[in-house]
Amino acid sequence: MARVVVLGAGVSGHTAALYLKKRLGKAHEVVVVSPNSKYNWIPSNIWVGVGKMTTDDVVFPLAPIYKKKGIEFVQAKAFALWPEGDAESDQPAVEVEHTSQERMGQTEKLRYDYVINATGPKLNFAATPGLGPDDGHTVSVCTPSHATEAKTKLDDVIAAAKTGKEQKVVIGVGHGTCTCEGAAFEYTFNVEHELRAAGVRDKIELTYLTNENELGDFGVGGMQFEQNGFRTTSQLWTESLYRERGVKAVTGAAVTKIEPGKIFYDQLDGSHNEMDFDFAMLLPPFKGTDWAAYNKAGEDITSTIFAPSGFLKVDADYTPKKYEEWSAKDWPRTYQNPTYKNVFAVGIAFAPPHQISKPRATPDGVAVAPSPPRTGMPSGTMGKVVAFSIADMILKGAEKPTHAASMSEMAAACVASAGTGFKTGTAAAMTMSPVVPDWEKYPETGRNLKETFGEIGLAGHWVKRLLHTLFIYKAKVKPGWTWIPE
Amino acid sequence: MDNTNERIAMAPLPTPGELRRRRNAFTQFFRFMRINWTMWLLARKSHH
Repeated sequence: MARVVVLGAGVSGHTAALYLKKRLGKAHEVVVVSPNSKYNWIPSNIWVGVGKMTTDDVVFPLAPIYKKKGIEFVQAKAFALWPEGDAESDQPAVEVEHTSQERMGQTEKLRYDYVINATGPKLNFAATPGLGPDDGHTVSVCTPSHATEAKTKLDDVIAAAKTGKEQKVVIGVGHGTCTCEGAAFEYTFNVEHELRAAGVRDKIELTYLTNENELGDFGVGGMQFEQNGFRTTSQLWTESLYRERGVKAVTGAAVTKIEPGKIFYDQLDGSHNEMDFDFAMLLPPFKGTDWAAYNKAGEDITSTIFAPSGFLKVDADYTPKKYEEWSAKDWPRTYQNPTYKNVFAVGIAFAPPHQISKPRATPDGVAVAPSPPRTGMPSGTMGKVVAFSIADMILKGAEKPTHAASMSEMAAACVASAGTGFKTGTAAAMTMSPVVPDWEKYPETGRNLKETFGEIGLAGHWVKRLLHTLFIYKAKVKPGWTWIPE
Repeated sequence: MDNTNERIAMAPLPTPGELRRRRNAFTQFFRFMRINWTMWLLARKSHH
């Protein structure tokens, strides 16, 4: 009997665990380790942040789902990897610290034959002084509780505006190396939608603050697509939306510090700037969870397995290169660690070889370099292919991964909400293929123009709302769940 | 020099016809079907 341990129960980890169990059946064990007792459909957190959904709409308990499927669930946080085993056993192990009330703080080693690191990111609010809802002065929509707090503070701003006070709202990213600009974009336009609905739009100056070099970059270097017979760019497309909605923007910015009511940021031209705010939702940069790895003798081998960012090294080409030398071929295909073949990483947890969007820096050396997004659709796809590969390695004795899904080959869809309502909602629906531009295959635009498009309208909102329902249905493993693609 | 707001001020606004199209339930239903179909096809071929 083989034992597969999946670390993390987000989109990629949960997907991997479900497909593993489906393929492996009762003959083998699948164990999921997650510090959280509940699954969170993160893309809908922005709707919690404007009061259109509650926490209960975006989360559900994991334990009953795993019990039903015969998957062992351990509510714990992984902190050390022993890929060669230890003094007690030759079998590899992952060391975890329990987070459930009953076993809080207890540690144990879980033995494995295969392990998938799908731990997602550590929200690195500490990277910017004053950032974040816990020890800082800004709010976030990264978790349901953060989003609920954001909604409460947004209500305060709306209430103040209703008394006639001018208010300044800033939404964006809180560090030069952030990712998930799409989520900040979505929250910006959902807030704008709510401000109009509340009748206070004219009292509020709304600014989008981002590390993207230009609007529409979204951390993927922007897109080109055809629309009404013309080739246009995501930059022009989004600038049009900002004009239509009266939203200001600051681009190429690295937030360096936040004080109560004041954001300090540097820009690529070397300027040092300040911006006042009454409400600020700034996303944090991500880093890998706090890992350590040891060989059988107990010597630290963390740098062998993990990149300095804390993300796990996989089958990517990590050779340092100039931006001009980056290639689509640098990106991983199987997500297998090159040193330990039974260790995999998917979703945000794998170390990308480089950014997708061109990294820049201010004259003072402050990085303004959007990190590559590895969430949502690509994340689920990675979880699925790794599950299939491991199942083939266990059941068929395959010596190497049998399935692949490179971000330089796979497409992604992004539906960015710009306001809710069955008749009044709007969203920007975008697809890009591939996610990482392949300039050799598509020398003009880096992507397949037939599979890359953008569209704004009510239909996009319906799609976003449908995806919320479908993906929670799928995650709850209801009948026909495998028919819903990642 | 950040000229983003100047670019926003010069960006094309959607025409009244385009705004009506974005709100028209009949038109949007067909867009909805097309977006879903495209996304489904892309998702199915994203791995091998």
